[in-house]
Amino acid sequence: MLLRHSGFALALAIALGAHLAAQNAAAPRPAPPPVGGCPPVPAAFHTCALEKAKTFTPPRTRSGKPDLQGFWRGRLSQSFSVEGVRGNEPLVGSDVMPWEIAPPMVVDPPDGRIPYQPWAVPIGRIGVNYSQYLDPRTACGSGGVPRLALQDANQILQPDGDAFIVWLHEDHHVQRMIAMDGRPALGTAIKVTNGDSRGRWDGNTLVIDSNNFSGYNWFDDSGNFYTDNVHIVERLTMIDRDTIHYEVRVEDPKVYTRPWTLVWAQVREKEQGFELLEEACREGQRDLGELMRDGIKFYFDPPWRGR
Amino acid sequence: MRQGPTNVLLAVLLSLAATPAAAQAPALSRTSDGKPNLQGVWQVLNTAAWDIQDHAARLGVPAGQSVVVGNEIPYTPAALAKKRQNFENRATADPETKGYLPGVPRIMYMPYPFQIFQTPGQIVMVFEYDRGIRNIYTNGTQHPRGPLNWWLGDSRGRWEGDTLVVDVTYFTDETWLDRAGNFHSDALHLVERFTPSGPDHITYEVTVEDSNVFTRPWQMRMVLYRRKEPNVRVLEYDPGRLLDEAGAQRDK
Repeated sequence: MLLRHSGFALALAIALGAHLAAQNAAAPRPAPPPVGGCPPVPAAFHTCALEKAKTFTPPRTRSGKPDLQGFWRGRLSQSFSVEGVRGNEPLVGSDVMPWEIAPPMVVDPPDGRIPYQPWAVPIGRIGVNYSQYLDPRTACGSGGVPRLALQDANQILQPDGDAFIVWLHEDHHVQRMIAMDGRPALGTAIKVTNGDSRGRWDGNTLVIDSNNFSGYNWFDDSGNFYTDNVHIVERLTMIDRDTIHYEVRVEDPKVYTRPWTLVWAQVREKEQGFELLEEACREGQRDLGELMRDGIKFYFDPPWRGR
Repeated sequence: MRQGPTNVLLAVLLSLAATPAAAQAPALSRTSDGKPNLQGVWQVLNTAAWDIQDHAARLGVPAGQSVVVGNEIPYTPAALAKKRQNFENRATADPETKGYLPGVPRIMYMPYPFQIFQTPGQIVMVFEYDRGIRNIYTNGTQHPRGPLNWWLGDSRGRWEGDTLVVDVTYFTDETWLDRAGNFHSDALHLVERFTPSGPDHITYEVTVEDSNVFTRPWQMRMVLYRRKEPNVRVLEYDPGRLLDEAGAQRDK
């Protein structure tokens, strides 16, 4: 979660400048560095990265596939809202966990807003979900797709035989198994928190096509959501040895007026001897009872879940 | 030697006699770095999750034969009393009833499939039950510095011939070995041995050591069966979430 100002968001920066100057009389923060040689704002990164990908040859596995293996962390991403956080957002002034001003990770539509159908607008976007329901991740559910790739370290493995790619996330011990062997989709009655993923290579890009989601997930802390009807296509493309362009196309005709796209980066974690550790959430949680007593509801009931 | 018909016949007979029966079995599938390929979806076909020793049927529990070698668990006298108490209270005292991770080795013999993935430096086991993940590092690294208390322990493996030997340590004391009250302390230390006995079977042996609870090390042994259905997948059984959901429905 990093503060971002850039030439691309110049107008926003100017508008924020006065607000921030009033809020924080300390020395201005230095401009954040480029990511993979591209501007550190999702929309500008997206254009620049795809250009770089045209001329970058990724390292190869023993079996000749692009080698995406290793430990990665999300960059140009924050968990508060995929629509970005504006300077006039009241939660920026929160005592408990102040939200940080950030540009949107939604790059299409270009206004950076999720194209919700009218009924869904008051539910996502710091609406009904946020104020009435327990964040599924807080309840020790999986952060889900694509939220998992926003936070905490992750590991990509390309096991022997190339029948599967495995994507492990430290957050609440979650795994994704991406079948690369062209197998058929699961039947629609089977629903899985992180969906059922089937992948293929499109040149040097790993394309992951996922269905069969349980719908029990949000995109971010704001409560932006999808249903169990959602179809998600992710594209992972290395643009240099330590940077992956990560693009997520979301389609759910029950919720949105059209498909839309998120972009951020995965940057290699290079600490010597790094490993993902066990994070046993449910076994350690102590606060759920109190949250229930405060009237927060489990996110099981809403009509936007098929079950 | 002249290749007369008698010599040829003799050569053929000798070569047949010299070939042991075992060499006729199909060769083990191997990974690109020459190790036995353990990849695939596996599952046990026993009742160890309910009770690792010989047991008659109980309501909701099938009868089963012991996976404990010799059927005897060498508890200290105090620990044996605790085991009996656990057994009496098992319906609520078993931590697994709360939807917690069942620990190792219990997660290996829960009646749900799991999938093994192999790279040269890391073997990953992904469990349908409770989103369990075991990372078994085969890259020559040692256990990290403790103390640590993990639900599925820390696993470091190496190959001895065609057997994967895994040393597992750093456990909590909050898991049981089965639903019958068999338990351990946080001093639990395991040595597992995975030996393929053919393309579709792995013999899984685990030596259990815990000086707070047992008077000596003891062993479990069982077979892991390859799930052979085409396109078989490890799905998801998240008991904690299902418990929350059932509770939410009740409280409506």
